[in-house]
Amino acid sequence: MPIETAEPIIQMRHVDKHYGQLHVLRDINLDVQKGEVVVLIGPSGSGKSTLCRTINRLETIDSGEILFEGKPLPQEGKELAALRAEIGMVFQSFNLFAHKTILDNVTMGPVEVLHRNRKDAEAEAMELLARVGVEAQAQKVPAQLSGGQQQRVAIARSLAMHPKAMLFDEPTSALDPEMINEVLEVMVELAQEGMTMVVVTHEMNFARRVSNRVVFMADGQIVEQNTPDEFFDHPQSARAKDFLDSIKGH
Amino acid sequence: MSANISMRDALYEAPGPKTQRRVRIGTAISLVLLVAFIAFVIRQFYINDQLNPKYWSFFARWTTWRFLLKGFIGTIKVAFAAGIIAMALGLLLMLGRISPNKVLSATCHVITDLFRSLPSLLLIYFFFLVIPKYGIRMPAFWMITVPVALAASGVLAEVFRAGVNAVPKGQVEAAMSLGMTHGKITRKIVLPQALRIVIPSLVSQLVVVVKDTTVAYVVSYPDLMQNARVLISNYDALVSMYFVVALIYIAINYATNQFSVYLAERSGTQVLSRVDENPV
Amino acid sequence: MGVQEVFTTFGDMYLKSLLSTWLMTAVCFAGGLALGILATVLRVSPIKPLRVAGDVYVQLFRNIPTVSLLVIFVYALPYLGATLPYRTCLLCCVVLVVSSFASENFMSGINAIGVGQIEAARSIGLSFVQIIRLIVIPQSLRTTVLPMTNLLIATLLTTAMGSQVPLTPPELTGMVNYVNSRSVAGISAFVVSAICYAGTSVVLGFLGNKLDEKVRIIR
Repeated sequence: MPIETAEPIIQMRHVDKHYGQLHVLRDINLDVQKGEVVVLIGPSGSGKSTLCRTINRLETIDSGEILFEGKPLPQEGKELAALRAEIGMVFQSFNLFAHKTILDNVTMGPVEVLHRNRKDAEAEAMELLARVGVEAQAQKVPAQLSGGQQQRVAIARSLAMHPKAMLFDEPTSALDPEMINEVLEVMVELAQEGMTMVVVTHEMNFARRVSNRVVFMADGQIVEQNTPDEFFDHPQSARAKDFLDSIKGH
Repeated sequence: MSANISMRDALYEAPGPKTQRRVRIGTAISLVLLVAFIAFVIRQFYINDQLNPKYWSFFARWTTWRFLLKGFIGTIKVAFAAGIIAMALGLLLMLGRISPNKVLSATCHVITDLFRSLPSLLLIYFFFLVIPKYGIRMPAFWMITVPVALAASGVLAEVFRAGVNAVPKGQVEAAMSLGMTHGKITRKIVLPQALRIVIPSLVSQLVVVVKDTTVAYVVSYPDLMQNARVLISNYDALVSMYFVVALIYIAINYATNQFSVYLAERSGTQVLSRVDENPV
Repeated sequence: MGVQEVFTTFGDMYLKSLLSTWLMTAVCFAGGLALGILATVLRVSPIKPLRVAGDVYVQLFRNIPTVSLLVIFVYALPYLGATLPYRTCLLCCVVLVVSSFASENFMSGINAIGVGQIEAARSIGLSFVQIIRLIVIPQSLRTTVLPMTNLLIATLLTTAMGSQVPLTPPELTGMVNYVNSRSVAGISAFVVSAICYAGTSVVLGFLGNKLDEKVRIIR
């Protein structure tokens, strides 16, 4: 079972959300411990991406509450921006700033939000780019990089903010198969260094190998959660069994 | 339009309580300002006696609208004649430009750019002031239609070319591998698809043509604007007439633009003309 | 009368006319951009009435024929208590029309950015103002260079409406009228004006393309 330490870094209590008629999140209760890697899986439309995006308030919730380090998420203004600066986010479609060089993409946060001086920020950015293996591309613009490279830059951009936790919203779903591993490797390394991570993914091997806990969602609900070995070898619910069977077929 | 709305909403997050209050206050203030502005305009009309029924009552008469309608039909005639000539000429210019013959291609390129870079009014003066000096007499209809068509043909040639460029390259390569000639590929493969792609853009170019026809009074051709001027001297109601005519033009052009957007959405293409739209 | 004679007789005036056309184009384009930015700010503001006002403004002035607007300024406004000099009327009309197209260009520039980049900017903690300053404005300016170049050329062509009101000096299209009413210049006056327009357009188009190559955002 998950590591039970002091206070969970992320807590979700009775979270509900609707898109019009559609009930996308139903009474979600989820705690994430510091240093824990939680993988959210489930069929498409199960609400896992939405859940991930509520944690830094890219999506609002209708009721319930979300706490980060014990404090409710701010709703707007400077406080919200400050919270987001502490939570990294990696998107399915990379979302690098198209008009900025790779280096500037990574330094924008530190310079503009953390008010670091540009020289230090650039030095650190180069280290981060080296760490994810794209330092040679620092002066290029995003469109000149492959998808895998862009996603690694996006991770470096998040890391430059020294986040306390990171959210990954299907980080490899838009990638060609041969580029998936280069991104996953960076994520594995992060996990091993003790980064708190919430990862929405379809990469079952990653989930099994790296995560502390697998959370299975369907129809906006958390259906079951368990350690990866338990979950993959002995799923409890019929929905989870069906889901695992359907992806094994591939 | 729908794309605009989604992106301009995306600039803002779901508002928190403070933001909601600010938006409400802003909405209230802006409503007051807008109402004040409208009230000011109406007041200007009122204190200058422009709301007097004598300036507006003739709009209740059928004869007024019949005369305006006659002018409108004149506008439509010129616009469609010019539109058709411009399409034919634009298509020829484009075909010449993409032909393998270098001289023909360069000539068509120059002509296209020339027509695109001259104001339609200058071309109208050419047909109105210059041509008659060489003893050529043209009816007023052609003195307005031909220059408007020439000005539009340059833009349309570019629209057609954009359409041709939008046809996937693989189609041409496939046709070449079947041993088809350049002419045959253009006729049978490229043009039919390119035409389908540019239909919404052609419709939106009609707006430019309609706008260009509004100076038909220069050559004394009875279009909507010219007939409005006649009514103004008959009823001595200048302000009301000019505003009504402006609204008619705006309504026609707005409807045409919306129709082209609808066509584009229905066929999954884009209105290509935005870049070249000429606000003359 | 040949082109050369047109130059010897009307050369000075043609030069003044060309300069005046250029100046009006520059003024109208600058004014149109400024007003276009204002309209765009209204259109993307979160305040509904301002959005609607911005949308209505743009639809009105992008669909009205310039001459229809010009007659309102020149002939109708005096009845409503505002008599403006001819040149002011012309400049106002062109600025209003150009601003609506400028706003349309800005809007499509903003649309090209995409929701994803805005969310990414938010997620690293950039404030709304920072997102506008660092992402939205630079990107929309850089993607609109070509449309704005076309708009600048269109502005040049729209100043030809100046031929419909008395101006001293007349602009390039008015010159054709002016010369023809004073001598039998025939085609020459037309050719000179056409060369001025086409030459200016070619230069502006060339500069616009160069600038676009420099700042274009590869996507």
